[in-house]
Amino acid sequence: MECTNVRDELIEVLYGEASPDAARRIEAHCAACAACREELDGLRRLRQDLPAWKVPEAGRTLFRSPQLMSRWLPAAVAAALFLTLGGVGGLALAESRFRRLLDEREARHRQEITALKASVAEPVSSVSTEDDAAMFVRVQDLIRQSELRQAAALNASLSAFSERTEQQRRYDLARVSAGLSYLDGKTGQNVARTTELMGYVLQASQKK
Amino acid sequence: MPRLKGWERMGPTDEELVEAFQGGDFSAFDLLVRRWDRKIQGAIFRIMGTEDEARDLCQETFLKAYRALGSFKGESRFSSWLYQIALNLCRDRMRRRKGRTMVSLDDLDEDGAAFVSRDRPSALDLVEKGDLSRAVASAVAALPEEQREVIILKEYQDLTFLEIAETLGVPLSTVKTRLYRGLGQLRQHLEKQGIRGTAPVPATFP
Repeated sequence: MECTNVRDELIEVLYGEASPDAARRIEAHCAACAACREELDGLRRLRQDLPAWKVPEAGRTLFRSPQLMSRWLPAAVAAALFLTLGGVGGLALAESRFRRLLDEREARHRQEITALKASVAEPVSSVSTEDDAAMFVRVQDLIRQSELRQAAALNASLSAFSERTEQQRRYDLARVSAGLSYLDGKTGQNVARTTELMGYVLQASQKK
Repeated sequence: MPRLKGWERMGPTDEELVEAFQGGDFSAFDLLVRRWDRKIQGAIFRIMGTEDEARDLCQETFLKAYRALGSFKGESRFSSWLYQIALNLCRDRMRRRKGRTMVSLDDLDEDGAAFVSRDRPSALDLVEKGDLSRAVASAVAALPEEQREVIILKEYQDLTFLEIAETLGVPLSTVKTRLYRGLGQLRQHLEKQGIRGTAPVPATFP
């Protein structure tokens, strides 16, 4: 038997979904073929490691552009200058970006609520088995429930976004101070003065 | 047949709930959500890698399902249909994400040091620290989309070959081929990091 022809059945055996006939064929093949025997053993060992990947209780991640990373240094320097010149304006810009995302999301949720109302309202006309008034009360109740759920979801995403804004702020500050320490090493005194100024700006923005 | 566990076996089947919903009993949907939301969110998390997106896309999945359930014809299992919606949303989101990479906030120290040194910890470092979980996660994340989906549905969602074929709309043999290739790649990826599996496994043929 060609090894490539037994692959499907090998996989079935691996996951315990093989028919008794297929299991016997693979057993016979593996008794004679060291390569397939080793393959099956290797896959079984691999499968013992896979459950090690658990869904974490709370793991947060941020997007990061690789392009930004490859041009990290100039970006950091630019950010430092920008921040020095514009003060907390730079942070305000970052925040306004998140505010826009937030608004978009809110608009989307509102659309969904409207659509949901419409979709809940539709089937009512087609169901005539129940008394109209009772049905009306139930649909009202459903809409209220779904609005409550939507509101809860909106609140959750609002707080997630404000949290992210805070993270973005910390990230920006970290990048800026990293850029500054680079400049520090390169140009000494001049930059030391900038650092001092930066410290002031950072303090001011933290107070804010 | 879907393998039901514990309380799931007690209540009405998914298909009965769908029928009830289509007959006007919208509360049936609540039961479907309660039955499936954790599994769906888990699958999305493993595909997307972030909890925020998992929550967000899980919510979208059920919203879409709610809107479309009225016209669901029952040609496939309800669960396959639900996974289908979730996977499509993940693919859309992935496409939009293309060109961007992920960084976990856990990789950052207070000074944002991970952004300063451009090296992320290699899988080998993670393994040396005993973090097999992260090594497996990064190996699965490195798989091509088609293989990753099959691996996640089989290894972590415990679907049968048939259920996966139904969900993805591909032949059974394709599912097995993708699974075989995906496992091969995972093994290579992990072995490169010095992971050769844990204890020896007795060769049994059920």
